[in-house]
Amino acid sequence: MDRNQIRKWLKAPAKMANKYSLHAIYFCTGCGIIEVPPVITSRWDAERFGIIPVATPRQANLFLITGYVSVKTLRAIIRTYEQMPEPKYTVGFGSCPINGGMYWDSYNTIKHLDKYIPIDGWIAGCMPRPEAIFIAVTHLWTLIDKDMANSYIRYRENYEFYRRNQELALGRLEWPPLYPIYSNSEEIKYE
Amino acid sequence: MNELLNKELETIFKDISVSDSGDKQVAVIAKHEQVHAVLRFLKDKGFDHLALLSAVDWIKDKEFELVYILTRYMQGDEEYTDQESLHLIVKTRISRQSPQLETVTGIFPNAEPYEREIHELFGISFEGHPRLTPLFLEREYKIPPFRKDFDTRKYVEEIFGNIPSVENNK
Repeated sequence: MDRNQIRKWLKAPAKMANKYSLHAIYFCTGCGIIEVPPVITSRWDAERFGIIPVATPRQANLFLITGYVSVKTLRAIIRTYEQMPEPKYTVGFGSCPINGGMYWDSYNTIKHLDKYIPIDGWIAGCMPRPEAIFIAVTHLWTLIDKDMANSYIRYRENYEFYRRNQELALGRLEWPPLYPIYSNSEEIKYE
Repeated sequence: MNELLNKELETIFKDISVSDSGDKQVAVIAKHEQVHAVLRFLKDKGFDHLALLSAVDWIKDKEFELVYILTRYMQGDEEYTDQESLHLIVKTRISRQSPQLETVTGIFPNAEPYEREIHELFGISFEGHPRLTPLFLEREYKIPPFRKDFDTRKYVEEIFGNIPSVENNK
């Protein structure tokens, strides 16, 4: 352990532990997942940074969306994201989740992922190298230190708008809202 | 073998054109009334594997083209023989105004998902198909999205461009 960080550890042990044990769920959409096996295995060994892949979203707190998002995948992404326990961090990997990338005029690809779920950071590129994942993770550490990785708080606060955007893209959602919605608008009605 | 088959095809079916491109691919262009008879005949000849069924939109000719690719299954363990590596490409055209064709699931059962896909993406309906339910698409489309007159950019601007970002919404 780094001696310089002892004060940080004593001040906020839970935050530091959380920061150095990012359990990642890799959402295998598109081509970005090709970069992930070398990252988690011995070539780039992500466990040096405390990142290990986990089997289910309920064990994870880092959500890495690798590659383009189709309309059908968005449904699964939202369900996965809502099952993850807090605190949770999301990173969009590659240019496709940012603005559609090379599929920007496709009839079936979601263009801006941050309209539907909150994102802490982006890794731009098509494809980004595996090193870019580690740059993103170290950057995420500084964000966590400064309490700026607050996407799950933004999701809770603006859930009404996220939910409305999700319904605009997917039609009627078959799962109940994650947080209560105190809105009288006509567009959203739940039984 | 190829020439025998070509001659046999041309004698049995009248309005048919068979062209051998030389690289183990034989194209058979048939009318849509007789395509089922052609496929059944070829299946009896040993071409028992429907490798692909796809569609092409010829918008200037106002026609859809359906492409059936037939091969044989490999019989031995070693290498493909000349017969087994022969691909037969059966093409037929139907009008764009009333895109309808009888299903080939009676001849090749594995045509079912192909026909569902073509029904969904091109809007061609296959009579007698056991279930023409949606396969891939989540949304409703006025024009099936793989047709040439479907304007993807306009559609993207209408649907995805109109979804506001959350920061603007607040």
